[in-house]
Amino acid sequence: MFFKSTKKNGNEVDGFSHLGESFKFEGEIDCKGEIEIAGQIKGSIKAKKLRILETGKVRGFVYAEELEILGYMNGNAETNSVHVGPQGILKGNLIFQKSLSVLEGANLTCRVQKIRNNVKMEDTDKIKYLEHNQLASKK
Amino acid sequence: MPSIILRDTILQGNINQKDSITIDGVVVGDITADEIIVNMTADIKGNLIAVHNLETAGKVTGNLSSNKIHINNTAKIKGQIKTSNLKVDEGAQLEVQALTNINKK
Repeated sequence: MFFKSTKKNGNEVDGFSHLGESFKFEGEIDCKGEIEIAGQIKGSIKAKKLRILETGKVRGFVYAEELEILGYMNGNAETNSVHVGPQGILKGNLIFQKSLSVLEGANLTCRVQKIRNNVKMEDTDKIKYLEHNQLASKK
Repeated sequence: MPSIILRDTILQGNINQKDSITIDGVVVGDITADEIIVNMTADIKGNLIAVHNLETAGKVTGNLSSNKIHINNTAKIKGQIKTSNLKVDEGAQLEVQALTNINKK
């Protein structure tokens, strides 16, 4: 009554994972929360929020809702919003949906593309979809 | 800096760390580090090789090798244990082959 419940869903975790400077990893990372990388990663990363620190090096595909590059990244990135810090180096393709910010001193050697937020369904598509559903339910 | 992997994170691949590493999440692959701490929520499929110390309270399927190993009461381990100093708490679930005399003179 007096206190707001601060209880989160069972799956959510407070804080973030941190991969230290001497961390070397080759493979896939799938993080449902926030992750911070100061080590060397080769492979694909999927995360809600990804921060590549100054000492961090990432090679491979990155898919994150929020991406912060303060270190080195080589590869394709797909994200909602991206921030590149003053020592950030980015090579490869960058696709973002909402916002892009680059600070002075950053080094970008990449193709940058903004895509629309969500592609809305056309009316004809909707009708087709409904018809298809009706047909399916009759069967 | 030591690394920490929380329980919302899944890693597939081999990890090489010169420092200490704490794992709460899921790892599929081998882990090599100075010190490995496996917490209760962790699930590891792969070999753990620690130089100094290995502490586990989670689920591990694979071989464990370290100078010193401590297995907590919530641990579930399947595989082989190689160490010169082994400590197992009451309640730990083990399905292991243990070699505890290596490096001892």
